Amino acid sequence: MAGLSDFVYNTFLRRNFTMLGTVFVSAFALQMAFDTGSDRIWDSINRGRQWKDIKAKYVQAAEDDDE
Amino acid sequence: MQTRNASDAPASFNSPFKGSASSTSIPSFAAYRNKSKGENGPKMMQYFMVGTMGALASLGAKATVQDFLVNMSASADVLAQAKVEIDLAAIPEGKNVIIKWRGKPVFIRHRTESEIKEAEDTKWESLRDPQSDADRVQKPEWLIMLGVCTHLGCVPIGEAGDFGGWFCPCHGSHYDISGRIRKGPAPLNLEIPQYDFPEEGKVVIG
Repeated sequence: MAGLSDFVYNTFLRRNFTMLGTVFVSAFALQMAFDTGSDRIWDSINRGRQWKDIKAKYVQAAEDDDE
Repeated sequence: MQTRNASDAPASFNSPFKGSASSTSIPSFAAYRNKSKGENGPKMMQYFMVGTMGALASLGAKATVQDFLVNMSASADVLAQAKVEIDLAAIPEGKNVIIKWRGKPVFIRHRTESEIKEAEDTKWESLRDPQSDADRVQKPEWLIMLGVCTHLGCVPIGEAGDFGGWFCPCHGSHYDISGRIRKGPAPLNLEIPQYDFPEEGKVVIG
């Protein structure tokens, strides 16, 4: 435990620029995780009701209209 | 570094002032000491909290800035109108077609062989806005340009004027068959929009 925390402290937190880099990288990762996670929750709540779910039924007809 | 073990120190204090010794007995703080070796544990905790706070704050700042920037970009309905596709097979040789693109008229002229030859043989170096015909068309038989007079923005009339091209009725500017200004007050040639031919017989403007 002490070895791990020493390692983390010395690698990420000791120098200011590594600390800042860690903060920004983790902010990016946090954003990705939040966005994909909330999207997945939204999709699972609205399953079968969104355009991407029912597109297959209509897209053939729409293309026929266009041509 | 000077180290001292607090539990060894006497939990009392010998005051140099006589008669007050009984009032200053210092309690032992040994129970509150950090029992782990070194100071990394609490430091890690503090840096973790600071870093998490910073990460969340930068997330919020980034989202705020992004919202403003996205607000300024073009919306989907504007983007949908930004391009126009025209079927060129419907335009016979020697005919003009005027279409609306981004709220402005666009002239499409299917030029005949003699018109192409006339446009290319013109001594363009001495014109008011010198531009060769090859700089103004991608395919010589299709002349595509904005139908807005460069003088004050009227819409010129096709197949009119002294040079067989366009004539602006507002102040009498004459454009030739390549849309170049030849006579009248307009300072510049008719503007050429961005366009390309994705396939034979189709043009996409925008």
